[in-house]
Amino acid sequence: MAKKSSMGRQKIAIAKIPKKNHLQVTFSKRRSGLFKKASELCTLCGVEVAIIVFSPANKAFSFGHPEVDTVVDRFVAPRTKPSESALSAQILEAHRNCSIRDLNFVLSQLLNQAEFERKKGEEIEILRRANWTKVWWESPIEGLGLGELEQLKMALEEVRRDVVEQSNHLASEQVNGTALFGVNNHGSMQSQNCEEIPETKPLDINGSGPPTFYLDFHRNNGIF
Amino acid sequence: MSVAFVDREFLDIMTRKKIVLEPIANESTRKATYKKRKKGLLKKVSELSTLCGINACALIYSPYDPQPEIWPPSHGAVRRVLTKFREMPAMERSKKMLNHEGFLTQRIAKANEQLRKLRKDNREKEMIHVMYQCLTAKDLLLNLNLVDLNDLGWVIDNTVKEIDRRVETLTTNVEPRQMLVARFEGAPVDDHFPMNRQPWYMNHAMPAQPGQDAGPILPDVNADNDGNMVQNFYR
Repeated sequence: MAKKSSMGRQKIAIAKIPKKNHLQVTFSKRRSGLFKKASELCTLCGVEVAIIVFSPANKAFSFGHPEVDTVVDRFVAPRTKPSESALSAQILEAHRNCSIRDLNFVLSQLLNQAEFERKKGEEIEILRRANWTKVWWESPIEGLGLGELEQLKMALEEVRRDVVEQSNHLASEQVNGTALFGVNNHGSMQSQNCEEIPETKPLDINGSGPPTFYLDFHRNNGIF
Repeated sequence: MSVAFVDREFLDIMTRKKIVLEPIANESTRKATYKKRKKGLLKKVSELSTLCGINACALIYSPYDPQPEIWPPSHGAVRRVLTKFREMPAMERSKKMLNHEGFLTQRIAKANEQLRKLRKDNREKEMIHVMYQCLTAKDLLLNLNLVDLNDLGWVIDNTVKEIDRRVETLTTNVEPRQMLVARFEGAPVDDHFPMNRQPWYMNHAMPAQPGQDAGPILPDVNADNDGNMVQNFYR
């Protein structure tokens, strides 16, 4: 079920876009890309930037480094050469650059991990598709006949029953004894409200788990 | 690399490569990158303005030039846009105003959301894979913890629902009259297991998971005389 999210690179004439919807979408995307490029320029080359754009609906979007207003002021008002660029201003700038570096670092980490997940998803797809030709029951539901569907359903329901049985077994195991004497292999009790994340051993296709990252945003505890 | 190859070096550095979001240490590389990216940025502003028929301006102050790089190329044009901007009520102006930290924070939030979704989708894909494996290697379940079992159950339920929907589609499409005619003429009605397909649990071709047995072995009426499974994968 590989999804193509967009049409890919299209050549486009630089003239006002005739269709209103298309125009609006283009504005959104390009504005976002523009600010991204500006952000990169500032980070890579240490320059001051201000960009102001008005949307088709006349809303003002602006991006500035360090601030939109300071850069605009610099342009509009003649620059008074500061004899001592106040030490505090320099410290402030250094501090801000530090936060920006940290933010960029976190962003890079997230983008790398997203890339990792994308590749992982592709590999799983490849694995699944390979199996389609090996055994009939792994091929897509749409391709199966009535008899096969019936068989598959029965088989799956059997597995479902086993899942319930095993879940009950594990749950009772935790309640009964092992949890009382301290942390067992599965850590704390499973519960919806539990913040403790037990040691999960998800079945890993590639044999290597997801990479750790420094800041733990919204760690997932199962899908649902 | 000798001095004669300096230009090519720059080319290698600047072609489509993944950039590290950090200030460039090398001074000449930084200047070259600045020149290139500044040009690209101003071009992008120009394109945005033309494509969408909107007002825009850009200001860039670099250590390389006391004068800013601007777009539109005339000071007057830039001032006009700035005036329009400053004439707006302060609240409206600030609504969509971002400094660098704010912008990055936004990007991080979006990236985080994307990552969450990717992880969720991959988890589902993994579980579907596990589900299919469990059909032929029951002991696989013993490796799973409660979280995994919960997700596996969900995935199975979903697949069963999909099967039900598919069955619904197939059975409502079959003309009842056709079935009647078929019975009259003695043709077998296809609502039983097709004869040339063996039950799922009898597929010896599926290798057992290491350490697991392949499940119960039952005599199969669909095997040919040599005990081989007749397989026919697609209708």
